Amino acid sequence: MITEEAFDVLAEQTGLPLSAAQKATLRAVYPTLRAMMDRVSEPLPREAEPAHIFVPEVR
Amino acid sequence: MSAIPTIAEAARLIADKKLSPVELTQDCLGRIAKNNSSLNAFLLLTEERALADAKASEARHMAGTARGLLDGIPVAHKDIYNTAGIRTTAHSKLLEDNVPTKDAVTVTKLAEAGTAMLGKLSTHEFAMGGPSFDLPWPPARNPWNPAHFTAGSSSGTGAAIAAGFILGGTGSDTGGSIRGPAALCGIAGIKPTYGLCSRTGVLPLSFTMDHTGPMAWTVEDCALLLQAMAGHDPSDPGSANRPVPDFSADLSKGAKGLRIGVVRHFFETDHPVSPATKKGIDDALDVFKQLGAEIREVTLSPMADYHAAGSIILTSEAYAVHEPWLKTRFNDYGELFRDRIALGGFITAAALFQAIRRRRILTLEVTAAMEDLDILVSASQPGEAPKIDEVPKWGNLEKPSLTMPFNLTGFPAMSVCTGFGVGGLPVCMQLIAKPFAEPTLFRAGHAYETATAWRQQRPAMAG
Repeated sequence: MITEEAFDVLAEQTGLPLSAAQKATLRAVYPTLRAMMDRVSEPLPREAEPAHIFVPEVR
Repeated sequence: MSAIPTIAEAARLIADKKLSPVELTQDCLGRIAKNNSSLNAFLLLTEERALADAKASEARHMAGTARGLLDGIPVAHKDIYNTAGIRTTAHSKLLEDNVPTKDAVTVTKLAEAGTAMLGKLSTHEFAMGGPSFDLPWPPARNPWNPAHFTAGSSSGTGAAIAAGFILGGTGSDTGGSIRGPAALCGIAGIKPTYGLCSRTGVLPLSFTMDHTGPMAWTVEDCALLLQAMAGHDPSDPGSANRPVPDFSADLSKGAKGLRIGVVRHFFETDHPVSPATKKGIDDALDVFKQLGAEIREVTLSPMADYHAAGSIILTSEAYAVHEPWLKTRFNDYGELFRDRIALGGFITAAALFQAIRRRRILTLEVTAAMEDLDILVSASQPGEAPKIDEVPKWGNLEKPSLTMPFNLTGFPAMSVCTGFGVGGLPVCMQLIAKPFAEPTLFRAGHAYETATAWRQQRPAMAG
């Protein structure tokens, strides 16, 4: 669980008008979001470029 | 008439002058009058418009100038589709007085096909985040048991079709919002290939994940509706510029020779489904085998990989869409949508770009897996509809979504009913095809539906 202080910094950066209760709700679920961010950030080859959807010619 | 026809049946009866479009629309309006207060499927009923459309259709049929198989068919639109002069709210307080001046492109196309427009349908707020009980209108409920959830976000469309309020309707699908309610309401719904149907005039949620598409009682009816909806739209930057095939052309070809891959780990280990859902899929595979299809097992990356990339992209894009209102009208949103979208403000730019990079890898993976396959099979929902007041707030994050992989990759996918489970509630499977291979998807779905009896059973309230 992220500390309240650390989460407050992130919340402040969003600029959203969060109440204390709303902050607590988001802080409780933040570890799940963090795990997803870590999951997509596992190493990829340097040349793996961002892509949109697919190459339509591939059938 | 008493039985609710499919679109294909109604079209034949209308063409043979055995059914009047006005009579058909009145039947639908009668069912709405009787049952909408239990289901909340319609946010706005446009009865006068519907009857005017139906009368105009009848006149065309009598004059021999009918516009095709959809002429006179009662439909309605998810309330994120703009309708000129008709309130379009996204089921949100933020847009409760919003009256667009132009129809969405797909709304125009369905009107030009001669459909009778009955009104606007419930959605989860801005197509994400339900069921919510703190919005100006209540959430849609499931016609098979109104104490239960419809899934969403095209919740009103799913409920209205199952209840016989309309014969077809529009949905949108960013993470499963067509396939989810189609599954839990026991109907058919297709998320077409990304870019096949215009999104212009449909309120955006996530630019690269949004898909518009049809929902109906049968696969065949979805093909008929998609025929009217699909096609290049220069005003939609994601629109594919390619010819529209005949989506019904392969319906009669059956399943013989189809090469079907089963992504079993998606629904057995990555997100285990209910016993009835699993049995429905296994039985469907037996049906396909008996019809002459070849069945193989397919292994992809863990579904959590698809879910993580899809969720990060979706939430980031939705946050970008809504950020101005989030900063100025935060508490005018319902709690579920507001809190889910607010998470987008906590996603780093690096994580978003890693998700977009990973999207390419995962898309290539599915492309490779399907190289010598025509169809993939998975589950579309984890089980029967839960009670509407027992849906967890963060259910969208707790387990990987069964539908998200094909929003992320853009492949066409549809829900098809495979029977009934606990409490008599519907269960379903998900069929997936290659990009722009919707005719093959419809072929497989139609072959299954016509080989089984599930389409004969309607919710009790539909009479």
